[in-house]
Amino acid sequence: MAECCFIHFSRGDVSHRVRASTLHAGESHTENVELLNPVNLALQCTWTGNQNKLPNITGFWRKDGDEVENSRVTVQLEGDEYELKRVFSIVSEESLGSYSCVFGSEAKIEFVLAAPQIGEVRDKPIVSYVGDSVVIACKMEETKPKPGSWNWYKANGTDKEQIFVVAEPLRYEIKNEERKTKLVVHNLTEADGGLYYCGAVYAISTTMGHVELKVISFQEPLKPFIAIVIEVIVLVAAILLYEKSQSKKNYTEGSNRETQGENNGPEGSSSTRQRKI
Amino acid sequence: MTNAKPKAEGKSDDDEAPDGGWGWVLVGALFVSTSLVFGLMRSLGIFFVEFVQYFEESAQAISWISSTGLAAQQFFSPLGTALCNAYDTRVVVMTGGCLAGLGFILASQATSLVHLYLTMGVISGLGWGLVFTPMVATVMAHFTRRRTLVLGVGFSSIGLSSFAFNPLFQLLVETYAWRGALLILGALSLNIVACGALIRPRRRSKAPAKVDSERRSSCAATLRRVSSYLELSLLVDRPYVVYTLAVTLLNVGYFVPYFHLVAHSRQAGFSEYQAAFVMSAAGATDILGRIVSGWFSDLGHFRLIHLLTVWTTLAGLFIMLLPVSSLSGSYAALMAISLLYGFCSGALTSLVFAVVPMIVGVERMMGALGLLQLIESSGGLLGTPLSGLLKDVTGNYTASFVVAGGFVVLGTLTMTTLPHYFSCKELPPPQRRSLGNKDKGLDPELEQMHRSPTDTSCRGVNEVCSNLKECEGDNWVTITCWKNAKDME
Repeated sequence: MAECCFIHFSRGDVSHRVRASTLHAGESHTENVELLNPVNLALQCTWTGNQNKLPNITGFWRKDGDEVENSRVTVQLEGDEYELKRVFSIVSEESLGSYSCVFGSEAKIEFVLAAPQIGEVRDKPIVSYVGDSVVIACKMEETKPKPGSWNWYKANGTDKEQIFVVAEPLRYEIKNEERKTKLVVHNLTEADGGLYYCGAVYAISTTMGHVELKVISFQEPLKPFIAIVIEVIVLVAAILLYEKSQSKKNYTEGSNRETQGENNGPEGSSSTRQRKI
Repeated sequence: MTNAKPKAEGKSDDDEAPDGGWGWVLVGALFVSTSLVFGLMRSLGIFFVEFVQYFEESAQAISWISSTGLAAQQFFSPLGTALCNAYDTRVVVMTGGCLAGLGFILASQATSLVHLYLTMGVISGLGWGLVFTPMVATVMAHFTRRRTLVLGVGFSSIGLSSFAFNPLFQLLVETYAWRGALLILGALSLNIVACGALIRPRRRSKAPAKVDSERRSSCAATLRRVSSYLELSLLVDRPYVVYTLAVTLLNVGYFVPYFHLVAHSRQAGFSEYQAAFVMSAAGATDILGRIVSGWFSDLGHFRLIHLLTVWTTLAGLFIMLLPVSSLSGSYAALMAISLLYGFCSGALTSLVFAVVPMIVGVERMMGALGLLQLIESSGGLLGTPLSGLLKDVTGNYTASFVVAGGFVVLGTLTMTTLPHYFSCKELPPPQRRSLGNKDKGLDPELEQMHRSPTDTSCRGVNEVCSNLKECEGDNWVTITCWKNAKDME
């Protein structure tokens, strides 16, 4: 097996950043690159080759699966390694994505360029009631850089509509802190249910996180509530009725026993042991 | 629902032999009602996450809700038992169930944290206080030979139900949000009313009515009556005071592992999952301990008080060993000690209540339990902040656990000062001296309960009393059953 396999990263100066990666044999490898601002990013791939160390191989770059124009070059074997390096101009959201360097037809390293992603997102829907108010929150982790600002969007079909507090100040409230944002919706209606997106705004792009809101009417929990209350009433009635029927039975039994007891009166009293003081 | 007629016709309702018949139905009622009180209380943590988010308050402020609920339950226990002494247990428990349910139903409409304190804390806590101790006392009154076992079975419901309630509450909160979930919880709590309905009314002689008419004008007499309902005379009864002190000391240390074990395990370097698993495992052995200790105690080989001493000493020892085992870094050691601690703490829970009628007698048991709950709560209130303080001062939990274990052992030592502690045979429980001032008339079924487990020839006393009209209202000396059996050829 060819040896390979140390990953080394290097960074160039501020405006011209270098990101490098080295490949194991027979594997493809993925790097995540977090970007905040527009930058000229140099991506560098080094491959130690396989068994037959050909002097020349073809290497090219791909972006999001499509080959980058004019990126096909012939790579020389230098110092037992092949190297591909290219500078990409990352200016906007379209420039972000997946970039891959490919050696020949075997070796591939993928760089995923993206703005910081929102990690902690509530996967379960938030449930709230008609007429109540609800707080939907998004948080950017401490380890990630803080966004410039936050936006909120509501899903409308396949589109997202931005929520502006100014338009409906009575219904919406947005409270922003550096890493947290809260959207408060007052006076909910059924139509307010659906997907809400919080966007963390960075210079390069806005990353989204989504939360689902479900609005239910108060009748929903009322159904199991009434069912259980009825069950309790039925149980209590059954218990009390059973007891009444038992005691009626015992009453008739008991009165029979009493008449018997009186017949045995004299004997009964001789066995009494109550001592009156 | 006092029965003024002579014992004969109502007698057959109470003629079930102790340790059977209707008693088992009541054990089922105890099982359900205890799970709806304490099992519910333990699973409220799921709501707290929602409350923190909705009301935007700190976790500590939210945790006061359950502290208030528990404190209210313990504080109102003597009130519950006094009302049972004065009126009918069935009505008291059913009212308690309604209050508990009402508390949660009102809580579902809360708009501020204070509302939650008042509804989930005070109202539900009051309801719980009217339910728990009276139910325990009623069940204990129906059993003699299997008393500890049925208590163990009844209390095992706490652990079992919290296993069931945790996922259930999670589901309710996800489907209906916390408001709807609280509403449904309120309805669930109303099932306590059905449990209360199962309590058969006690037959009482006319004595209370006759006596009342004499005393209507006297204020001091009313106070005396109230104090007899509350069994305040127990506060000068030395064995009871010693026992209550011992249990209070026990409570100081008893809850510390429940609050701090997870945090301590995390601090010792174990993962969140491992720490939570230790807690669950201890909970499982807790359930097992309750039932096994109940069954074993009722075999009668040892005195209950001796068994209680053994379990409390072991529990205290294991609490003190907990930090040692975790600091050694071994997960197996921590797990082993926690399992053993769980078993011992469950084992002692069944016995703590079962010993009470041995000390005060069955008639005063109701009031005794109520007062015990109230006084022992002070131990719990002291213990948790103290352990937290020790942790803040020393930086880790070692001191907290050692001190907690120390308090438990101290409670054990206090118990050894009970009169006749070192005798090997179980002594007969105290009998009532005179009924002159008391409002309860002669209650023949209580005589049956006094009898020692080995004596089976007591049936005669019941039959004897039932035919006599003289049973009502005069000054009778209660003669305990086994003494009588000797006299009756």
